[in-house]
Amino acid sequence: MKKILILAVAMVMLLSVSASALTVAFTQIGQESDWRTANTDNIKAAIEAEGWDYVYDDAQQKQENQVKALRNFISQNVDYILFTGVVSTGWDEVLKEVNESEIPLILVDRMPDNMADIQYAAAFGGDFVEEGRRMALWTANYVKKLGRENEELNVVILEGTTGADAASGRQEGITEILADYPNLKVIASQTGNFTRAEGQTVMESFLKAHDKIDVLLAHNDDMALGAIESIKAAGLVPGKDIIIVGCDAPKTAFDAILAGEMNATIECTPLYGPFVVDAIKRLEAGEDLGRNLMHPEESCFDAEGGIVYSLDGRLSEKAADKIGERVY
Amino acid sequence: MKRGLKWDTILRSKLFWAVVAEFLILLVGFIIRPDFLNIQIRTLEDGTRVLFGTPIDILNRSSEITIIAMGMTLVIALGGTDISVGALVAVSGAIALKFLRWDVLEYTTPGDYSVMPFVYVLVVPLVVCTLMGLFNGTLVARLKIQPIIATLILMVAGRGIAQIVTDGKQFTTQYAPFKFIGNGSILGIPLPIIITFVVVAAMVVFVRKTSYGMFVEAVGINPNASRVSGIRSAVIIMIAYVLTGLLSGISGLIYSSRIISNDSNNAGLGYEMDAILAVVLGGTSMTGGKFTLVGTVVGSIIIRTITTLVFYFGIVSEAIMAFKALIIAGVIVLQSEPVRRAIARRREKRHINLGGELHA
Repeated sequence: MKKILILAVAMVMLLSVSASALTVAFTQIGQESDWRTANTDNIKAAIEAEGWDYVYDDAQQKQENQVKALRNFISQNVDYILFTGVVSTGWDEVLKEVNESEIPLILVDRMPDNMADIQYAAAFGGDFVEEGRRMALWTANYVKKLGRENEELNVVILEGTTGADAASGRQEGITEILADYPNLKVIASQTGNFTRAEGQTVMESFLKAHDKIDVLLAHNDDMALGAIESIKAAGLVPGKDIIIVGCDAPKTAFDAILAGEMNATIECTPLYGPFVVDAIKRLEAGEDLGRNLMHPEESCFDAEGGIVYSLDGRLSEKAADKIGERVY
Repeated sequence: MKRGLKWDTILRSKLFWAVVAEFLILLVGFIIRPDFLNIQIRTLEDGTRVLFGTPIDILNRSSEITIIAMGMTLVIALGGTDISVGALVAVSGAIALKFLRWDVLEYTTPGDYSVMPFVYVLVVPLVVCTLMGLFNGTLVARLKIQPIIATLILMVAGRGIAQIVTDGKQFTTQYAPFKFIGNGSILGIPLPIIITFVVVAAMVVFVRKTSYGMFVEAVGINPNASRVSGIRSAVIIMIAYVLTGLLSGISGLIYSSRIISNDSNNAGLGYEMDAILAVVLGGTSMTGGKFTLVGTVVGSIIIRTITTLVFYFGIVSEAIMAFKALIIAGVIVLQSEPVRRAIARRREKRHINLGGELHA
C-alpha cells in the first residue's frame, strides 16, 4: 500500500514536471533525401537539448497523414506545432482548426500557398532567389579571378523540378544577375528534376548539341554530380574545361570540390533547429516575430575561398576547412 | 506474286510501323540539325577512346528499359503486367551501394574500396531481385491474384525496402570496377550497350530455341486450353516473373553504377510505364498471345529517341511532357489497326489496278 502511494506521488510529480516543460510537435513530410534527414535530426536534437518534449510525425509523403497528425497535435494540446507541408495547397481546413485551437504554428522550409490567410507565429524558409543570385555572382567573380571576364563564355543551366519553388526561385536569381554580365551567355537551360540520373542525361545531350560549354550552373548539387560523369565521358575535365557551380552544399559536393571536379556550391541549409528554438524562446518571452519569412544564415564553399558571392560582398569559404563540420 | 503476299504481311505488322516511326523521328532530328546523327571518336582523360554522339547516347540510355522490357514482354504476352520493376531497380542499387558504401555520417574519404568482395556486390542484388520476381510469380501463378494487384505490393514496398537497406541514406562510391558497369566501354562501345545486346540475344535464344516461347504464346492466347493440353501454365508464368525480377536487378546495377550512388526515391521511377510502353510500341498486344522481343527493343529505342530529341533541341522544360505525349500518340495512331489496314488496302487496290494477283 505504501509502495503504491509513493509510486502515485512520484507519478504526479513527474506529470507536473513534464507539464511545465514545453511540448513541441513537428509534422515532417517524410525522408526523401539526405537533406531532409539532416533537417529532421537537427530539429529533434535542438528541441531535446532544451529539455522540451518532442512529438514527431513522419507523414511518408502523404498529405492525409499530415492532416491527421495536425489534428492529433490539437487534441494533445501541444504548445507549438512545427509544420512542413508535403504540397503547397489544400491546407485551408486543417490550418484553420490549428488557428482556432490557438496553438502557435511555426512554418518550416515549405510554405503553403495561402500564407496570407493563415495565422502563424513564425516562418522559416530558404531564400531561393538569393541562392540563384549567389550562384551567378560567384561564377562572375570566379571568371574575373581567372582573368577571363572579357571572354565570351557559354553557360548551361540544369533546372530543378519544373514548378518547384526552389527551381523557379533559383532560376529567377540566376537570370537577374547574369543580365549584368553579357559575357556569360546562357545557351541552354533544361530541367534535370533535381536528380543525379537526369542531370547526367541532360548534360550528355547538352554536350552533343553544343560544341563549346564553359559554365554549368546546376540548381542542386546532385544534378551537378551526375553531370560530372557526362563531362568526363565527353573527354573533358570537369572543374577546368567546364566551371561547375551547384547548390545545397552536402558533403558529397565538398568531396567533388576537394577532388577539383566541381568549383563551388551555394549553401541551402537544412539545419533549422537552432533558429526554431530561438524563435520559440522569443515567442515564450512574448515577442512578436512578425509575418516575414525568416531565412537561416547560409554560406558558399569553394576550393580556395575568398570570392565574393553575394551582393552585400560576403566572401566564400574554403571547402577543405569546413568539410569536417558537415553533418549531411 | 509471292512478293505481294510478303508486303501485305509486313505492312500489317506493328513492328514494321514501329521501325518506320523511329526512322521518321530520327529524320526530323536530322533535318532540323544534320549533326544530330553524328558519331565521333573522343579520347578521354585516361587515354581510352570512346564513340561519342547522339545515336550512341540513345542506345546507351535505352539499356535499362530495354533489359527490363525483355521480361515485361513475356509477362504481357501471358496476359499479365509487372508494375514492381521500377522499385526493384531501386532495391538492386541500394543493396549494391550498401556493400560498396562509404558511410556519409562516419565521414571517411570517398571509398575507392569495397567493404565486401566485389562478386557479392554483383550477385546479391540480382539474387534478391530474382527472389522478388519469384514472389510476384507465386502470387500471380499460384494464388491467382491479378497481376497488377500482385505486383503493386512490391511496387510500394520495394522502395521502402531500399530505404531500410541504406537507412534512408544516399551513399556514393568511387570504386572503379563498379563504376565501369555503367560508365565503362569496350572497344569504344559503352558497356551498357554490350550488356543489353547480350541480354537480348540470350532472351531471344531462350524463347525461340526452347519451347518456352511457344508455351508463353499458348498460355497467353488461352490459359485454359493450354492447361488442358498439358502445359504447366503456372510454371510458365512463374518463369516470366522471375526473369523480369532478375532483369530489373541488372538494370538497377547499371542505373546505380552510372550515378555511382543509390537513389531509393528516384531510381527506376516510372520504369514500369516505360517498359510497358516499349513492349506495346514494339507490337506485342496487351491482351496477350503473340509477342516480339525485337519489337520491344525498337519500342524502347523510340522512347529514348524522343527523350534525347527533347534535350538536344532544348525544348522548354514545361513543354516536355506534352511534346513526348504528342509523338507517342502519333506512333500509336500509325500503328493502330484501322490505319495499318487502310494503308495495306490502298496497296491492294493499286495492285488490282495494275492487274496483279490479290492474295488474301
